Amino acid sequence: MFSKIVRRSHMYLALFLVPWILMYALSTMAMNHREFFKQFFGEQPVAWERERELTYPGTFPEDAKPNDVARQILVSLGMDGAHNANRSKDGARLTIVRHDPITPQRITYTPADGRLVIESQVFRTPAFLERMHRRRGYQSDYRLDDTWAFSVDLVIAAMIFWVASGLWMWWEMKVTRRLGFAFAASGVAIFALFLSTI
Amino acid sequence: MTFHLLTRRIHLCLGLFLLPWFFLYGVSSIPFSHAPYFQKLYEDGVPQWTVRFEKPYEIQVPKEGDMRATGARILADNGLKGSFGTYRPNEKVLETYLFTFWTASRVRYFTEEKRLLVEDRRSRWDQILTGMHARGGFEQDSILSDAWAIFIDVVCIGMVLWIASGIYMWWKIRSTRVWGWLALGGGLAAFAIFLAAL
Repeated sequence: MFSKIVRRSHMYLALFLVPWILMYALSTMAMNHREFFKQFFGEQPVAWERERELTYPGTFPEDAKPNDVARQILVSLGMDGAHNANRSKDGARLTIVRHDPITPQRITYTPADGRLVIESQVFRTPAFLERMHRRRGYQSDYRLDDTWAFSVDLVIAAMIFWVASGLWMWWEMKVTRRLGFAFAASGVAIFALFLSTI
Repeated sequence: MTFHLLTRRIHLCLGLFLLPWFFLYGVSSIPFSHAPYFQKLYEDGVPQWTVRFEKPYEIQVPKEGDMRATGARILADNGLKGSFGTYRPNEKVLETYLFTFWTASRVRYFTEEKRLLVEDRRSRWDQILTGMHARGGFEQDSILSDAWAIFIDVVCIGMVLWIASGIYMWWKIRSTRVWGWLALGGGLAAFAIFLAAL
């Protein structure tokens, strides 16, 4: 019975997390071959394209923090979500980057004339994958981001569980013990060599 | 050997061979996902960096472009060796970070003062793990570093093969198809919602 629970948990958890594992595999390859992708996309950061420009009629308290201003603007634009906000040193400009996973958006607000410039980042597959790979943690004020962070924790727990349950399932199959031991031992030996030399 | 048995053996042997990498990536994701917790854990008054040496030094630093060649020259001039990366955080500093799996140092050249400062990072488990996790790419002039990067590719390919072989093995167990569909479909739906709503 215990064996069956381990096997089924191993499988169903893996089926549920297929999209995450695929994303982490592809994004890791993209990051491992960053120099290769530079041939196609160049060395410059991903470009922003102007989407629209408008005048923002709202007002803010004098002591409003950049994040409060950003939140109010995002809500009024119907774009509320994970973001960061930076005010220029002279206070003339507030730059908000909305961390949309597919199309990040940059909103530049000029308080003097109330102008808002909204730009979208050009889509690039390696950049999209890297954004997804790096998204984690519970620092955001948004519940959905915390839910994503929880899903990342679930992947972490699953990876450790797959190692343990995989070892268990292998050990149960007597016929594969010798073959499995050869593979496991060679993997550990190569890994140890790396750890001690580079 | 039938195709079914071959698939099962590939799934198992690949898992056992790549077990140390998979375990490393799982465990090392924890300090990434819970960075504030680990940061607090090490707020013990021990400085993050300790000066190894400091001396007057002069080198021409290009205003823009790839700084790696300049970083390599600084290291060679000062008898420092190892895997490294170079970047320019601001106009006044060129920073080269030297690293192994277990240690990290930074070599900072102050362009206006013409001064070189070499510091060693304190040993912290969270930083050792995140350093191992983030290590990759083919930029280093070291065969073993390139071999590590190749193994990262093997892990990524392994993850894709586990998905493919796992789905195949699940499909072969008729009694698990309904729950399997629910798990797979649920995962795909949840991931799609994250992509659309984050």
